[in-house]
Order: sequence, then structure tokens, then C-alpha cells
Amino acid sequence: MTTVLAFGLDFSFLADTWSFIQDNFDELVAGLRRTIEVSLIAIAGAFVIGLVLGAARAYRIPVVSQLAAVYVEVIRNTPILVQIFFLYYGLTQGIGPWPGIRLEAFTVAWLAVMIWGGAFNTENFRAGFEAVPARYNEAGFALGFGRLATFLNVTLPIGGRIALPSSINTYISVVKNTSLMYVISYPELTTTVLQIQALTLQTVEAFTVLAATYLILVWTMSALIRLLESHLALPEDAR
Amino acid sequence: MSLPDWSGEVARYMLEEGLRNTLKIAAIALVGSTLVGITLGTLLTIDFLPLRALIRLYIEIWRGLPILVTIFIMFFALPAVSLSLRFDALTAGAIALILWGSAQVAETTRGAVQSIPREQHEAAAALGFGWVGRHAFVIMPQALRRLLPPLVGLLVNIIQNTTIVQVIGAAELLEAAKRQVERLTAPPPAGVGEIHSFEIYGAVMLIFFCISFPLTRLSAYLERRLS
Repeated sequence: MTTVLAFGLDFSFLADTWSFIQDNFDELVAGLRRTIEVSLIAIAGAFVIGLVLGAARAYRIPVVSQLAAVYVEVIRNTPILVQIFFLYYGLTQGIGPWPGIRLEAFTVAWLAVMIWGGAFNTENFRAGFEAVPARYNEAGFALGFGRLATFLNVTLPIGGRIALPSSINTYISVVKNTSLMYVISYPELTTTVLQIQALTLQTVEAFTVLAATYLILVWTMSALIRLLESHLALPEDAR
Repeated sequence: MSLPDWSGEVARYMLEEGLRNTLKIAAIALVGSTLVGITLGTLLTIDFLPLRALIRLYIEIWRGLPILVTIFIMFFALPAVSLSLRFDALTAGAIALILWGSAQVAETTRGAVQSIPREQHEAAAALGFGWVGRHAFVIMPQALRRLLPPLVGLLVNIIQNTTIVQVIGAAELLEAAKRQVERLTAPPPAGVGEIHSFEIYGAVMLIFFCISFPLTRLSAYLERRLS
């Protein structure tokens, strides 16, 4: 009866949810910690991949640029869940003389979202760098900067800011995608809550907590975008 | 080099059962997301705060949740609230994808509708169109041009996200592949007593790539032609 009225004004539902959190507090925090841990590793990796390969794409550095393009297209055009299956289950099979590779669930957890986020970030940074007007670079050269110094002092600070909103959107997707590690039983937030739900059968409470936690994480990150955008806005946009 | 003996049956199951269900879920999700999303996005342009706040909440919730969590909610949590809300895996997955997809479409529709000049609204009103007729016959046909590239992009994302329905056991392409990998590890006559996860999951990636790549090119082309 309490659950039928869950979406009405039945406060016993809120009390049940609160006691669900209290009863399973340590497990929930451990799950959330793993979600954040995996996300942070992946975001840091995706940032570096995006920066390096995005620059390689924008400057059309031979070989690296083409390889990066293939990487981006393969990752963006295949489902991330299939990529996770491939990394975790597909690689264990040896092919001919090569032995299979068995990756730990934790490794696949951060690696899969890092590879995925890196591909999207490569596009974000490429677009950002290419949006920097050519005359800015010419001004850099005129001031006696070399190619690398022009990149570091002109293209990176300006193009990086242009790429910032879309790259933070990618990081938000990275956090959401860590939930997919449920399929390899890595005990991040989703897996943890589902395990507790299977034991306690407190289904509505479990999913309320799960959904609310993700929404808090994601909404905080989107609020951060708006804050950063106004803080890092280029002077000419701020006018 | 010829294909191994086991591959024929595996391919048949993956394509006839798996890919068929994948395309079925994707088609339902695309139509549902577009219809719900365009409606909500158009309503979002009405200057009436409670309505706007409600639609905004809908968009932020279903865009903010991981699709996996939405799928679990539709499949496990709704039946716990009321037994009449019990769906099979394919339906629960399609509903989750529609909630997510319509939130995406609503956001883009709002922008597309607002990009149509005021004069179009006024001219349509002068011709005697009501609010519904004005939007259905004058504004939306023009906004659709702008909506087309993101809709093709959405189709790519929907097709890829159908794989997540695998977690509740719907027999889409990834689940079909998983079943075949598991069957092949069994000793004969059921399987061949070998692991073939590399080839089979590799094939799943290839199939998705062959579907998605032309569509992402199309989306990029439409985007360029528009600007």
C-alpha cells in the first residue's frame, strides 16, 4: 500500500528510503566511491587523449592524424556496451599463436570509458582548435613564436575554451556510462544497488536511491559547466 | 580461407533473431521519441511557467539518468509499484529508449521552433490558423529542415543504445551473440567445446559499424548542407 502511493504524498515511502540508505550506508558509499574513482581515471585519460589526438587531427600530422580518425570512427560507430563485452570477454580468447588477454573488471571499467571518452574528446578538441581564427596564429608567428609555442600560447588557451562545454558533456556521459560496468559485475554504484536490492527486495527504495544519486552527480556537473563557461568565457564573448 | 563450420548457424541466429529485434526496438524507439519529443519541444515554447517547468523536469530527468538505470526502473521498479505496470523486456527497453530519446528531441525541437521568425507565426495567425494548426502546418514543416540532421544522429544513438536492453535479457543482437558464444563453449552436439568470443563480439562491432557509419556520414552531410 505504501508503494502504491509512492508518487502521492505518502511520507512513509520517504522514511523507507531513508532507512534503506542508513541500513546499507557503507556499501552504497563504497559503490559511489568506485563510480567516482573509475570516472576520474577515465576523465583524466580522455582529456589527455583528446588533447593530443585532437591537436594531431587539427594540424593534420601525417599518420597520427589518420590513425586517430580511424580510432574516432570505430569508437563512435559501435555501441560502448559491445566494446565492453569485447574487452572483457572477447580478448580472453587466444587467436593462433597469440594467447588470450584476461583483463580485470576494474581495468576494463576505467579503460572502456576512457577509450570511449577519448574518441569523443578528440572530436571536441579538434573542433575547438580548428575554430581558432587563422589570424590569431599568424599574430603568434609575427611575434616570433615557433609552431609549438604558438600552439601552447595561442591555440590551446583559446581552442581549449571553445572545446570546454562539449568536452564536459563528454565527461558527464563518461560518468553515466560507468553504470554499464554492471555487465562485468564491477561493484560500482549500479551493481552495488542491484545487489542490495536482490538481497533486501526493497525495489522501489533501491531504485529511488540509485536514480537520485545519478541525477545529483549529473546535475552538479551540468551546473559546473555553466559556472565554468561564464568564468572562462573569452573576453569578446563576455561583452 | 574458409569460414569455420560453426559460423553458419551462429550468423543465422544473430541476424534473424538478434538483428531483427535490434531493428524492431530501434524503429519503435525512433518513432516514439520523435512524436513525443516534437510535441514536448513545441509545448516548451509556450510562455506558461508551470508547463515549462514540468517539461524541463521531464527532459532533465531522462537525459540525466544512465539509460541502463532507466531500463531497470521500467523493468524492475514499475512492477514493484503496481502489477499492472509489468512489461516484457522488449517493451520495457523500448519505453526507456523513448523516454531518453524524446528528451533529446524535445530540447532540439525547442531551438528549431524558436529559430522560425515571428512573422511566420503572425502570418499563419492572420490566415486564421489556431495554435495547433499554426504549429502543425506552418512552423513544424519549416523547423523539420533544421531537425533532420540531429534526428539522423539520434537514430545512430538509438541503434547503439538498443544493446543496453541486453541487461534485461531481450534477444537483441548483443544478447543473441552472447547466447551463441555460450552455446559454442558447450561440448558437441550442442556446441563445439571452444570459446569464440573474439570473432563473435568482433562481428557484432562490425555489424553496428556498417549500420552506423553511413548514418553518421549522412548526418554530417545534412548538417553541412544546412549551414
